[in-house]
Amino acid sequence: MKKLVFALLCLSSLGMSPAPDDQECNSENFATACIPKLATGFNFLKSYKVDGLAKDKVEYSYVFTKGTQYMINLCANGAATDGIVVSIFDKERNKVATSKVNGQFISAIAYPCNATGIYYIQYTFDEPSGHCGGSALGFKR
Amino acid sequence: MKLFVIGVAAALLVSCSSGKKPDDEAFLQSLEKDASAGPGVDEEVINAILEQIPSPLEISVLLKESGSKYAPEMLNSSNNLPRYNSNYKKALNLGIYGTDLGYTNIFGRNQDGIKYISSIKSLADELNIGQFFDTPTIVRLAANSKNLDSLLLVTTLNFNHINHYLQSQSRDNLSVLLLTGGWLEAMQITCQTAAKNPGNKELQEKIGEQKIILEQILLLFSFYESDQNMAALKADLEKLKDAYDKVEISYTYKESTMEIIDGVAVIKDNSTTSINITPENVEEIKNITNSIREKVIS
Repeated sequence: MKKLVFALLCLSSLGMSPAPDDQECNSENFATACIPKLATGFNFLKSYKVDGLAKDKVEYSYVFTKGTQYMINLCANGAATDGIVVSIFDKERNKVATSKVNGQFISAIAYPCNATGIYYIQYTFDEPSGHCGGSALGFKR
Repeated sequence: MKLFVIGVAAALLVSCSSGKKPDDEAFLQSLEKDASAGPGVDEEVINAILEQIPSPLEISVLLKESGSKYAPEMLNSSNNLPRYNSNYKKALNLGIYGTDLGYTNIFGRNQDGIKYISSIKSLADELNIGQFFDTPTIVRLAANSKNLDSLLLVTTLNFNHINHYLQSQSRDNLSVLLLTGGWLEAMQITCQTAAKNPGNKELQEKIGEQKIILEQILLLFSFYESDQNMAALKADLEKLKDAYDKVEISYTYKESTMEIIDGVAVIKDNSTTSINITPENVEEIKNITNSIREKVIS
């Protein structure tokens, strides 16, 4: 049932979006594709477009709550993250999480939040070719 | 330039519409509201703040998991729908009904939820954003309690689409009202639940933490001070802020650690927040929240 719902959502999303040309980043499709990849038990909150064709980083923010576990995943061309790294910074700009661990690109972060506040979700690009992707945020208690 | 873009968007939308006069009027009214937003308003800044506001669903899940009982009397009756005649009231109560729908869904009370689906669809249609609320799919999913995950997913996506659309159409004032209504209702439900469970420290802390969200909402409202309705609501929210000024939140950063489990970077967050809130603070916040919410739903 869930797969059917997603298939419908993807189709409607495609139908509403203009067709991209070769230079365009269709980050919306990547973001939509990332939603069903949230681990079981996580409720979907937001999807993020990661279009870095014209910038060094893409950043969003969200209020994370103590006692809630969040998951942020990454989707890009191919199975890996295509060099896209997601990092989480607290309100004081301390880095509290990253998806690049010992040079390895991880496609999801699980963040059990212990301190309520505004957090910055930042996407950076480690591969010259990979500047286009999507991401989804989910939560569970 | 902004007026030109709004004009072109209006012309396109009017030309694509079904020709229903009330819809056209509703859309034009919403454009008038945009014109009342202060000069030099940076829409990117507004949209970035809007994106920060957490989903009321998080609070509903907390309430369910804390063992609190389903209490539909706390919600705004769907019968109140005919009261909402202005775009201001429609947008606020669309947010309120959205939170109420999430609450009924989380507690598996789908029959109650269906009443809210109908009210949400009506308000969304009147605000010309009904195309983003997929009523047939939601009603079908609500018919079977096994579809909870899909139901939550579709409703969340629908509300996200509505907010993104409003922001893209420079109708972010309505997006602010929608999110504020949703937050206010979650506050009301949390405060009422906390009053019934005075020993529940987690709920009290949850109310205290909302100080952070209120600050962001007030920041958003500061962009619309020339709008009479929004200025009046801001004045009410300032009273809530006065109560929240007595609540202290302290943050201590400590470097986090991480391990990779099944391909996922699992973080151990070593930072902490401490919320200093008394039962008297909770009572005062509850009373002010209730009074603001009463004005909004009446």
